[in-house]
Amino acid sequence: MTREESLQIIQQMISTAKNEQKDDGKGWIVWGWLLFAASLFSFINVKITWLNPYFFWNVLGMATIVIRVAFFRNEQTVKTYTGELFKKLNIGFFISLIFIVLAINVNTLTPVGGFALLINLYGFWALIYGTALNFRPSVIAAFVTWALGFAALFVKTFEEIMLLHACAALAGFIIPGHIARKQFKQTGRKNYNDIISV
Amino acid sequence: MHSQLRLSVMSLLISVKEAEFTFIRGKTNATAGNLSVQVNKLKEAGYIDVIKQFKDNYPQTVCKITAVGIAAFDEYVKNLQTYLHQ
Repeated sequence: MTREESLQIIQQMISTAKNEQKDDGKGWIVWGWLLFAASLFSFINVKITWLNPYFFWNVLGMATIVIRVAFFRNEQTVKTYTGELFKKLNIGFFISLIFIVLAINVNTLTPVGGFALLINLYGFWALIYGTALNFRPSVIAAFVTWALGFAALFVKTFEEIMLLHACAALAGFIIPGHIARKQFKQTGRKNYNDIISV
Repeated sequence: MHSQLRLSVMSLLISVKEAEFTFIRGKTNATAGNLSVQVNKLKEAGYIDVIKQFKDNYPQTVCKITAVGIAAFDEYVKNLQTYLHQ
């Protein structure tokens, strides 16, 4: 094996491992669409005075648990440093989320204030994720989400905050999620071609 | 590290925290037998740790680069760079 071949192997293997550290965006897309749907249905629900205002949020909670257990089982064959960071970040994210939801339920926070805080939390998550993955759309999404969060401070009604929340889900999770998924598929195909060409 | 497969294994493990044997096999396109021999050689040199355990009642082999392995890989890359700059 020549030195040039050695370098080529090192580059290819590191590039392969790097791809493992990329996120396929599946989780963001599912979570984003769930938030988007819950916000939009809640908006319609309040407008037409149909069910309990929080009905669709309760459905979201249950759906999240079911989808997590059924479709997102941990079957990874490799542990990366970024993967470990994301695990801890997601634990922190969901604890903070539950904290805010509880604060709304025990009336420590108003629903409008609580959802404004949630939007800000999405921005924080997107910034850390985007920075760790060196994924620019997620970093941009973080600032868009924060802008929506600040706008949320000035809304008065539950309907308005639901619309802003739907926009935050779109900007913070759905759009960057779809971009990440597209990039992940392209990089995966390129790496596969590189490996079989050795 | 002067074998293509051993170098591939080291290059993979340097970039991740730990990896299962099946993952390494998939990424290097090596046969299980050949990979097993090379992994054992790296283990004997103290470059990697090999942890054999059970996960959901199935045997699982996890490989992880050691501090000695990181230093050796670093040295190997430095030597390559020195040669290329000559």
